Amino acid sequence: MKIAVCVSHVPDTAAKINIGSDSKNIDQNGVTFVVNPYDEYAIEEALKTKEKFGGETVAISLGGDANKETLRKALAMGIDNAVLLKDSGFRDSLSVAKALAEEIKTQGAELVFFGKQSVDYDSSIVGQLTAELLGYNCISVVISFSLDGNKITCEREIEGGKEIVETALPALITAQKGLNEPRYASLKGIMAAKKKEIIEKQPVAAQNYIEIISMKKTESKQAGKIVGTDSSAVPELVRLLREEAKVI
Amino acid sequence: MIVKKEPEQFQNYLSDASNYKGFADSVYIPENEPEIIELLKKFNEQKTKVTIAGNGTGLTGARVPEGGVVISLEKLNRIINLSRKEKFVIVQPAVILKDLQDFVEAENLLYPPDPTERNCFIGATVATNASGARSFKYGPTRNYVVGLRIFLPAGEIISIERGKYFANGLKGHLITAPGKEILFTLPDYYMPHTKNAAGYFCRANMDLIDLFIGSEGTLGVITEVKLKLLDLPKSLLSSIAFFKSEENALDFIDEARSISIRASNNQSRSPSHLNASALEFFDQKALNFLRPDFQNIPGKSEAAVWFEQDYNDNDDSIITNWINLLKKYNCDEDSVWLAINKNEREKFHEFRHAVSWKVNEFIAQRNFKKIGTDVAVPAQNFRQFYSWIKKKIELENLDYVAYGHFGDCHPHLNMLPKDEFEYQKAKQIYAEICAEAVRLKGTISAEHGIGKLKRESLLKMHGEENIRKMAALKLIFDPNKILNIGNIFNENFLERV
Repeated sequence: MKIAVCVSHVPDTAAKINIGSDSKNIDQNGVTFVVNPYDEYAIEEALKTKEKFGGETVAISLGGDANKETLRKALAMGIDNAVLLKDSGFRDSLSVAKALAEEIKTQGAELVFFGKQSVDYDSSIVGQLTAELLGYNCISVVISFSLDGNKITCEREIEGGKEIVETALPALITAQKGLNEPRYASLKGIMAAKKKEIIEKQPVAAQNYIEIISMKKTESKQAGKIVGTDSSAVPELVRLLREEAKVI
Repeated sequence: MIVKKEPEQFQNYLSDASNYKGFADSVYIPENEPEIIELLKKFNEQKTKVTIAGNGTGLTGARVPEGGVVISLEKLNRIINLSRKEKFVIVQPAVILKDLQDFVEAENLLYPPDPTERNCFIGATVATNASGARSFKYGPTRNYVVGLRIFLPAGEIISIERGKYFANGLKGHLITAPGKEILFTLPDYYMPHTKNAAGYFCRANMDLIDLFIGSEGTLGVITEVKLKLLDLPKSLLSSIAFFKSEENALDFIDEARSISIRASNNQSRSPSHLNASALEFFDQKALNFLRPDFQNIPGKSEAAVWFEQDYNDNDDSIITNWINLLKKYNCDEDSVWLAINKNEREKFHEFRHAVSWKVNEFIAQRNFKKIGTDVAVPAQNFRQFYSWIKKKIELENLDYVAYGHFGDCHPHLNMLPKDEFEYQKAKQIYAEICAEAVRLKGTISAEHGIGKLKRESLLKMHGEENIRKMAALKLIFDPNKILNIGNIFNENFLERV
């Protein structure tokens, strides 16, 4: 079985983000990029599935040369092959999905893992769109995955509870935190990854339906005020809540 | 300045991470140097004991008051000046170590001392001569302190730069800011050739700045620190290797240690040679504490080693050298984790840190105190010493966990008593371990310091006469006996000089 995992190269969640001078991009100066955290769960699940049932794994990423770092990490964790769909221009979610779907088709993968969302644009939609374009079954926000023959059973998070869903291959799964504990790359994996080639391809062209008009930073909240640390502060606190905050 | 007079307002200033509890009348939080001087002068005249408080991360009760008042330096937390060109930074004492490290790293510089708990104040790391995993290559805090500003209890100021004032034999001579001469004699006890944080640093013809580093606040109050910085290494290889047996892991450390020391001493060696900056050990029990949070720890491993080396990203020969050494000691290559980026390196740091706090949490649930060693011995005696300790504890059927800076031959062996009987037994074994460390030319405290909890062990290490000499030295700087009384030696020694 061929298993594909789609990975995104995103700013570190701890990075301080500033808007670039064109107001349409972020200023990448001093920003560290990492593997999208949810994609690490996807990589781990792909590896575990391969270890259990055999087959071949391929990681696919769309973006510029910098994305190679993320693909390299996937290889170091144990993924067999890596493909970079090279495109550094802006693509909306559907356009990204079209490029990925085309490559998944070329690869002939019948099981695909995604992170449930990438933590840069946070649209949480590329996995589902890709599944639709491929005509694959899709289960999203998955916290437990099992495969038995052709049958897939997943647990997914829903508002206030969990849902158990069954489906069949071919399928696309989007991973939520809790699905597994992603492994660290091994020393051996690093050495192997260094020797592997990352295949570069031109992604299929696709129309954007979304245009970024401008990016703005959210207004920062005012600093909180500590009125006191013991019961003597209560009258002042009540006065401020009543007169300044006007909430009581 | 904030003053806290009601006990319920300052309970958190009465203990530290060792859980040792003290008592005080009030807590003062000055905002600048003039306020500190004013407080010191006042309490010096009144002969009121003053305990200087850091961030409470210490493990020896050094900041825990035993009466009098507490002065917390927490508001003196500014980074004053960084020179990229001359590679130094000047900070106030309450700058948090982690913040300083992030700050200098952004300038492509490195401040190497890295105690496992990085929430500590810089001033406090100077007061205890703190060290950590990287001290294996880079040495302790002492190696990086190049200037200090110190307030004496009477309000005088000593500004001292490294390389300027030396002892003449054992005779010391310093001049304070108003021009008062201070003359003193240094004790001349044996100082172990290991990492050491046990008592005053004293040596004939020494640089006098070293006297204050590691003096646990007993000689003066540090209000400004100038630290030397290094260029940030291009990249860092950080790895955790899991071994089938403890013996394999210890043999691996032994060989990595001697190769690294040889490489450091011989600069002509190629930079691609194996040269660890840190070698940390975890026994099986330590790994079991970690398993719930790190589920990928290989099931069959009985020990682990976390090692780091500065290197150039493109230099694969270093990785190959490490792989070969790991294979020699039966380490399965697939069970060697490698941190790919800074985030993962931080996670490995957390792996190490988690052992300490998980053990602390476990023992707190049992409502007992752990008894943990901070001993270190010279490398040639280390293996024999370590197996001697383990046998001793196992013979008494005590629960324990072993981990620590094995590159520096510095094990943190924590005994985990279940009841009062076991607690007393553990205390007895602890005393025997310290005695054995001293017999093997080692130290009873390699990094935590003495504070109030390890005074008895220091007394055994150096003997009464030398402790009395330390007390005499303290009285020169603090004649009214107000400053951090009870740290390093019992208060009684100040009466018997």
